Amino acid sequence: MSSTSQHLLLSPAELAYLHGSLSLTTPGPIRPDGRAPAQFRPLTAETGILPGTNGSARICFADGTEAVVGVKAEVEKTPVSPYEFVASTEGRKDHSTSIPQKKKGRKSKKPTEDEETTMDVDDEDDDEEEAGDGSAAVEKVRGSPDWVELSVEIPGLRDDDSGTVFLTSMLTEALLADGEFVKKLWINRRFHWKLYLDIILISPPLSYPLPLLSLTTHLALLATRLPRLKSEADEDPMFDDDWAAATFLYPRQDTSSGKASNKSKQSSAAAAAAAPASRPPITLLVMAVGDNIIFDPSKEELAVADSAVAVSVAEGPSSESEPESDSIPATTTKRNLHLLSVRTIDPPSRLTPPGVPNSVNASAWGTMTAATPTTTTTPASANEGGAAKHPDARVTETEDVVGVWKAPRGGAKFAMLGAMVAKVLERGGVAEEVLDGLEGVDLG
Amino acid sequence: MADRRRINGPVGATTPPIFDKPAKPAVAKTRDSIRKIFLKTGITPSASGSAYLELENPNPKRTGNTSLKLMHRSQRGKDAVTCETRAKGILAYTLETALRGAIIADRWPKSGVDIIVTVVEGDQDRDSPESQKDDEGWDMMNVLSGCITVASAAIADAGIDCVDTVAGGVAALVCKDNKTAPTIVMDPVVAEHGNILAACCVAYLPTRDEITNMWFKGQLPGADMIVYDKLMEKSLVACRCANRVIIQELNETVKKGQGIS
Repeated sequence: MSSTSQHLLLSPAELAYLHGSLSLTTPGPIRPDGRAPAQFRPLTAETGILPGTNGSARICFADGTEAVVGVKAEVEKTPVSPYEFVASTEGRKDHSTSIPQKKKGRKSKKPTEDEETTMDVDDEDDDEEEAGDGSAAVEKVRGSPDWVELSVEIPGLRDDDSGTVFLTSMLTEALLADGEFVKKLWINRRFHWKLYLDIILISPPLSYPLPLLSLTTHLALLATRLPRLKSEADEDPMFDDDWAAATFLYPRQDTSSGKASNKSKQSSAAAAAAAPASRPPITLLVMAVGDNIIFDPSKEELAVADSAVAVSVAEGPSSESEPESDSIPATTTKRNLHLLSVRTIDPPSRLTPPGVPNSVNASAWGTMTAATPTTTTTPASANEGGAAKHPDARVTETEDVVGVWKAPRGGAKFAMLGAMVAKVLERGGVAEEVLDGLEGVDLG
Repeated sequence: MADRRRINGPVGATTPPIFDKPAKPAVAKTRDSIRKIFLKTGITPSASGSAYLELENPNPKRTGNTSLKLMHRSQRGKDAVTCETRAKGILAYTLETALRGAIIADRWPKSGVDIIVTVVEGDQDRDSPESQKDDEGWDMMNVLSGCITVASAAIADAGIDCVDTVAGGVAALVCKDNKTAPTIVMDPVVAEHGNILAACCVAYLPTRDEITNMWFKGQLPGADMIVYDKLMEKSLVACRCANRVIIQELNETVKKGQGIS
């Protein structure tokens, strides 16, 4: 079974109590560990713990869960697809002769769009403009999702366990969603970096490990350095032996931001083409109980969740060329968060056993046979044949009885899901807080 | 005696054949609804419930075929129905999430449902293999929404108690080329739309107005939340359309059953 639904030994009464205290509205939810609804668990983080990797990180949550991520890179030859013969711009004349030529000089990146010739001309104009204002746009930097390989290991779970598969796909999806990350791995037309991310949860999965794994991956990617490229253009890549000269995959923006970006511009077109302020994604777990939105739920809290959502956000300027709308004050604040992916998580609360109210419980002197309702019953249901026998049984089937746990049915309201996502993206919200915290980690 | 000479392969590298691009279907896609759905329940007699779904498509047809077997599992110490979907890992997990919200599990203690969805044909454009490379992820969303709809019909056909029939729907933010502003389309066909920026697949319970599963991914330009909300709304409309098909088919099934008895 999935890792979310690992059994937590809580009785229906305990679940009901927990649900009740988490769905309080007047003083706000009361969490078992005393956190505020939007408060993250304290964590310790360090980077550079694995000497043999290009970047590594370890994060330990206060509840004892701990994850290690190692990032390894190797140079790989980009296979020349017979369908994409001329990928670069017009100025480039040195395609090898074996590559078949076609009437059209170049093809756009998306081969699905069947362009008219007029459209093609437009596109070329566009490219020339790009080449005019940015020296980096000599060649079209591309990327493929195949260039990143991500593996997740959770102790006690098989590789092909649906929970592990889901975690892997969530993390991969967040990383690849905007297509910007893989462009960083581009070396030249013939070569690229292949990145292997090994994500290992060291501790047993005491809580749903998605946020922990995501944060550790984020940190490891921030700490990832690739050897400095010495060769130029389409030569076979040659790298600087000096590890101290290696460039960060995500160039730091503070203090030496101008210098760093300049250097990377010279060294690799990939880094220059990428936005200097962009950061790897983080995935946060948000759950809803009643009308309350609770961040970073622990295992006990997740066991009573009405709905749970994993939201991936990344920071960075929009890669779209269109100007920012004035409605969002993105230019004034320092972080510009982007929504990358949202996925509902199957809350383990759906598998919890229901409680039995006293009114229908024979051992609690409830009315199993006699029609002496202790709670309010609607006359309509009491008149029905089957329901007349135990009217309270009908009530417990359909309605909530205060203090009696019942696994949540149905899904989440549209507005609630929207609110959860909005809360993540909020200025000064949890995502920013987490990003700020991780920014403070020394990358060595 | 047969000829035993070894036949060697070609010495150098070979390139696969390149086909000319087929003419683009003349249908201008300004649909404001989902594609036509063919849905039929009760096609596998051996299963407790089954359904078959086929989508209208300009090029090939995509079909999902669900058969559903209901079996009691007393050895399972759970007081809840567990859906175990065996499909491609992530798809199964998502489908399970979508369906579990709809099934009233506590009425069926200690029992399990096996849901087997066979995707007969995907949405791919077989004529142009070049378009099948990176778009796998977008195609998955369409397949998932079909799976949700067909599985929901099969569950209803099996007579398993549900709070509502779940329906799946997809909406996508599509951009024809770099010049024009992106538009939101329902039930996108990956092969038709040039560039999909973001897409959203939703499993929806129309009468309860609740969402059991949501899968959004992509990149939204400009003000994130506004576009995101619009995308969600569109996919809900797609869900409602699909749900109408389910209801209609179930009504027909009921009528047929009454005619026999």
